[in-house]
Amino acid sequence: MAAPPHGVAVALRGVRKAYDRQVVLAGVDLQVAPGELVAIVGQSGQGKSVLLRQVIGLETPDAGEIAVGGLPLPRWLALPPEEKPFRIAMVFQNAELLASLTVAENVALRLEEHGRLSRAALRDVVGRVLASVDLAGVEDKRPGELSGGMRKRVGIARALASEPELILYDEPTADLDPLLTEQIAALIARIRRERGTTQLIVTHNLALARVIADRIAVLDAGRIVEYSTPEALRASPTPLVRELLRAAALGI
Amino acid sequence: MLQWLGEAVVLFARTLVAIRLRARDRHRIVVQLARIGSETLPIAALLALFIGMVLVVQSADQLREVSQSVLGPIVGLAMTKEIGPVMMGFLLAGRAGSAMAAELGSMAVYDELAALRTMDIDPVRFLVMPRMLAATIAMPVLVLYADFVGIAGGALVIAVDPAIHLAVSEYLARLLEWVKLGDVVVGLVKGAVFGTVASVVPCAFGLATRGGAEGIAASTTAAVVWSFVLILLVDLVIVRLTFGLT
Repeated sequence: MAAPPHGVAVALRGVRKAYDRQVVLAGVDLQVAPGELVAIVGQSGQGKSVLLRQVIGLETPDAGEIAVGGLPLPRWLALPPEEKPFRIAMVFQNAELLASLTVAENVALRLEEHGRLSRAALRDVVGRVLASVDLAGVEDKRPGELSGGMRKRVGIARALASEPELILYDEPTADLDPLLTEQIAALIARIRRERGTTQLIVTHNLALARVIADRIAVLDAGRIVEYSTPEALRASPTPLVRELLRAAALGI
Repeated sequence: MLQWLGEAVVLFARTLVAIRLRARDRHRIVVQLARIGSETLPIAALLALFIGMVLVVQSADQLREVSQSVLGPIVGLAMTKEIGPVMMGFLLAGRAGSAMAAELGSMAVYDELAALRTMDIDPVRFLVMPRMLAATIAMPVLVLYADFVGIAGGALVIAVDPAIHLAVSEYLARLLEWVKLGDVVVGLVKGAVFGTVASVVPCAFGLATRGGAEGIAASTTAAVVWSFVLILLVDLVIVRLTFGLT
């Protein structure tokens, strides 16, 4: 049975972004319900990652509005960390762990910087989240000593440590073999089942999206051209969706 | 030039505002101090030793017909007021500063800075503040160290070079007679200021790095070159401001 939603709603209205007159997002509208797992799929270079970076405030839209948990994003960003009513975490494509820190230090970083947890409590949290991603025992290793799949799971553990209400994933299974892809997919599905966290996943892997997502948004030329459940997506007449489905069926 | 200078000044102001001295911040400062020490101390000793020796030989040659008894004041004043701080500033910029620019540049290019921001961690407080404070604290110590080693290098040459007709005791006595505490203090203050420059400028270039490995290389080179230029510029200003004071 799924956990009651611990997540927050996400709403994007008319989000636009251009770089040097090249339009990347041409007015994106997207509604994500609390606890929902939404995958944004599309071909490379269609602005999927740019969209994700707007949602966490790493980049600012040229136009449009983003609200998380009913709060306009600029207002949430302006709040001091201790006053934020909810937390957002992001899992980067290459995890982007700090190379100079150990795995445990990476995972504990956010809590250590903002929290008032004792060292023992921090150790407990680190141990628990690393165990939840099947990585118990790697606390003292450096990111450079881990495989790509392990780094991604440490990235997820780092996100989980602060118990965020929204997790954003940028290509969580890119460059991973099928077994590791399945591991990560199972992990994301488990987070949804056990925590009810809202999760937004950017991926070009439609097969993965169809397995784990509640709804799938297809991004093409800076616009959402399809937003439906995996089942409904199969009947979509949109040419790009047909192409993506065909490629996914071939295992490409 | 004005743009990066402006960015460096803004970063300096932001770093001052970001200063916190919680236990974990103090730990990061100590880590940076240890890095700066291990990266600069051995070369600092070598540089200061040879500069002290060369200063004595060069000056002794010029003073052959006059009096070599002023060698002590020449080496003492040159090392404490000018050569020690400037040389250590260059060394810090070249060794530790370049490493700072490369490290922060790499973090910028590979999205580690973005990862910090997503965790509500200010990269200025987390990365720049400990580096700037460590460099500012380390530099006066490095300058003092270079002063002593440079003066000792001069004494060593005087002791062994038959072309120099001066007793080491007289070299040191005249040096102590001429070099006032104020001269040493000015050198130490210069050191602290150069330490700030040689850390903030590389951090500013590092944080602004774009592009891949090429961008990191360009940032690192620019950080060192502009640190040198700014150290000399600030040196001139300090010399003018302290004119007649010591």
